[in-house]
Amino acid sequence: MDKDELYGQLKGILIDQFELEESSITPDANLYDELELDSIDAVDLLVQLKNITGKKISPDDFKDVRTINDVINALTAL
Amino acid sequence: MKHLFYVYRFIGTSLFWFFFGVIGLIYGFLLLPLVYLVIRRPERRQVIARDMIRGAFVMFVWVARTMRLIRCDITGMEHWDPQRSQLLLANHLTLIDVVILLSLFPQVDCVVKAAVTRNPVLRVSAGTANYISNRAPDELLDFCVGRLDSGSSLLLFPQGTRAIRGEPLAFKLGAAEIALRANATIVPIALDCNPQMLAKRVPWYRIPPSQPHFRISLLPPVAADSLVPEGTDSRRARHELNAALEGLIGAELARREAENRSPLQS
Repeated sequence: MDKDELYGQLKGILIDQFELEESSITPDANLYDELELDSIDAVDLLVQLKNITGKKISPDDFKDVRTINDVINALTAL
Repeated sequence: MKHLFYVYRFIGTSLFWFFFGVIGLIYGFLLLPLVYLVIRRPERRQVIARDMIRGAFVMFVWVARTMRLIRCDITGMEHWDPQRSQLLLANHLTLIDVVILLSLFPQVDCVVKAAVTRNPVLRVSAGTANYISNRAPDELLDFCVGRLDSGSSLLLFPQGTRAIRGEPLAFKLGAAEIALRANATIVPIALDCNPQMLAKRVPWYRIPPSQPHFRISLLPPVAADSLVPEGTDSRRARHELNAALEGLIGAELARREAENRSPLQS
């Protein structure tokens, strides 16, 4: 899966599951400050990402993740 | 006299930890592995291991109180219902509060640090008692909810780590989320230890200036969803519940502290 595809999938999850406005989702949007995800959302998001990528993701891989772009980069680095 | 008592408490505390360590080794290397090997059925094994661990903790608390190393007042035990599944949520000040709380509630479930379950000896002990390992956060939530759904009671420290006495409570969202997903009955527990002993980064031998006084109050049970306005979305709900729980336990601690200062109180 390339970066654009991942971005599309991630955007879909954020809109459907986390009920975010499509317009608020940009590559540089900060998940916690701007999109207001909390620690439980972060865990749920991790589970969803595991499902779509089929990869094992450990919370440590996501420790420094702040923006949507960071998520994509962390996923492609796995 | 006060100085003499300090010297006594230092020696007593050293002996206590020696005793604690010896019993810990006997349990970890001998008794619990034996239970693991001899008892085939995991459910039975879990019951026996938890009774044994509680037995040791009851003994530790008794010894510490009898040696006058700590004082300990517990109120509200009538709110604990062993027949029902309850989520016990306490603030966390010292390593000893775990020992006291586990000594109070037979067969209660608890979460064990992942570091503990990576240690081969402790892994057998914690595994025999079937405590929940804090490995991956997503699994942890599901596990805790599952245990509550299956009728167990669960003890959690929502602060996630030992805090400093007197600082405002800051609970992590996990406990509130578990409570909501399991639609749990919560028993909030306000725990004070004055002066604080065995705080984070304080070595065991630096004993507090006076005998630590534990005051543990179980508050009346509340249904998780009763603390959240109806129709609140799930994200708001956990924040609301979390704030409500910080409020309940915080208010009880503040009330106790005010009582302490009142000259009318003996």
